[in-house]
Amino acid sequence: MRRKPVPWFSYTVVIVGSFLMVFPFLDMIMTSFKGAAQYNNLYYKFLPDEWNLDNYKTAFNSLSMGLLFKNSIVRSVLTTALILLTSSMGAYALTKLEFKGRNTFFKFVLSTMMFPSFLFFIPNFYIMVHFPMVGGNDITGSGGHGGMATSIWSLILPFMVSAFGVFLMRQFMMNINDAYIEAARIDGGGELRIFFQLILPMTGPALATLAIFEFINSWNEFIWALLMNSVNKDLATLPVGIQTLKSHLDSNVTQPLVMAGLVISVAPVLLVFIFLQKYYVRGTMNSGVKE
Amino acid sequence: MKRSKLKRQGVAGYLFLSPLILFYSIFLFIPLFFSFYLSFSEWSGFSLSDIRWVGMKNYKALFSPGSVFFHPIMTNTFGFALGSLAISFAIAMVISYMITRLRYEGFWRTLYFLPTVTTIVAIGNVWYYMYNPTSGVINGALTSLGMKTIAFLDNPHTALASLIVVGGWLGIGSAVLILTAGLKAVPEDYYEAATLEGAGVSAIYRKITLPLLKPSILFVLITGFIGGLQSFTLTMVITKTGGPGNATNVAGLEMYNQAFGFSNWGLASAMAFVLFLFVFLITLIQLAIFRRGGVESY
Repeated sequence: MRRKPVPWFSYTVVIVGSFLMVFPFLDMIMTSFKGAAQYNNLYYKFLPDEWNLDNYKTAFNSLSMGLLFKNSIVRSVLTTALILLTSSMGAYALTKLEFKGRNTFFKFVLSTMMFPSFLFFIPNFYIMVHFPMVGGNDITGSGGHGGMATSIWSLILPFMVSAFGVFLMRQFMMNINDAYIEAARIDGGGELRIFFQLILPMTGPALATLAIFEFINSWNEFIWALLMNSVNKDLATLPVGIQTLKSHLDSNVTQPLVMAGLVISVAPVLLVFIFLQKYYVRGTMNSGVKE
Repeated sequence: MKRSKLKRQGVAGYLFLSPLILFYSIFLFIPLFFSFYLSFSEWSGFSLSDIRWVGMKNYKALFSPGSVFFHPIMTNTFGFALGSLAISFAIAMVISYMITRLRYEGFWRTLYFLPTVTTIVAIGNVWYYMYNPTSGVINGALTSLGMKTIAFLDNPHTALASLIVVGGWLGIGSAVLILTAGLKAVPEDYYEAATLEGAGVSAIYRKITLPLLKPSILFVLITGFIGGLQSFTLTMVITKTGGPGNATNVAGLEMYNQAFGFSNWGLASAMAFVLFLFVFLITLIQLAIFRRGGVESY
């Protein structure tokens, strides 16, 4: 395969293909600069007639971008942090502590991957809104004004455990030599201390993979955030805020505005992905497909 | 000695697992039993005391002759899953084979993977715009070629196909990723030996590449199919309620709309379990194939 003639045919096909993959993004960016006069025209033109930033300004003013950004960031960062913690704690117990039912529990965690997310939208919606003792609810979960959905935690808690995360961290921790831990135990270190001071620092690469994978998933998650937004408008994340804006207004008028909002919301994730894709790719290879 | 160590580690073990145990109790067990019970009930989602047990009524309604759930909704669901999988798989087979022969392989793969890490809201809105009958790029191209414009998403005959194209486009990236990994796992000496024996490119592909790529191919096909059956966010973003009529409606979207649009929580739960049954059967087939093939469970 080396030292063969340059595979021109393959280059052509792959380049034409990549153009088709990237074109919708270019169209999105170009449209976000188009002015009102241009997109009401009855024909398509790729480039904007004049480059103006009005859509971006309007997006920031009328979309309350600040709130959407804040919600997206808080939600994604906290979800990711909790997944890292629960996954690595679980994996530590499943690899370094001996107790009855350990393997059964791991098999159970793996089997939870069989239940697709759509099974949970309906019951979890009720559970969140009627969560006892939060958002004005009493102990029976009634009487309140939205329960857990009064807080950003409603976007975080249902995602705080990832079976894939436990699996990934367990794979990694199995390769950590038990001798370190035995030595620390003989020195009288408690399990919590061993976990936080000895084990966690050793799992850096696995944590990085998991963090980027889960951050991107969480940033892009739409249906659950939309459901919580239907109870509490203050919880809108970037995808939800932009999509609901679109359904409130005439889409022909707001198209460039929506595109500007989308560029703003997509850019951070694409940057994270492009710079840290090595880690992300590793995560996807293990999990197979996007949810 | 051993006993006390086991006991001490047992307590610590369950403490470390307690977040998982708590999570799975609240967000897995309770919801599963709750919605399974709901699927045999009528309920509008307000007070728990209003839940009325109706036995098999919801399931019977879904299976009854006049039901739109089996046709067109379930047929659309399978059509969407199979159609978009066929597109992404066929393209990914060609692209992944070619990509591994090029320089800067990682760069090309990144471009194909961009849609996979982009929120469906962006994907849906951009394609919605591209399909626009007057100002969209696709009709713009048709017009400049002297053809008539097509109202892709408003015409019941083209709407589902239009969505399948987007679903297929969206699935290319992860399929390329898995297939290129599979291709690179084929030992280089196999190819060298075959070339020395005088085997042609197509013979090498059929006799060496394809058989060794089989586990990756199966993985892409099965997980892609399961993902396609569950997909409904894309449809929701592009055609809102699965219109025109029910032309693009799929099971997940119908479930969502019955629950949160029409407050038919019982019926919606029954739909969720019918769809789950299909997904579960395919998962079992996947496990059986991978066990037999000696591939580690994924």
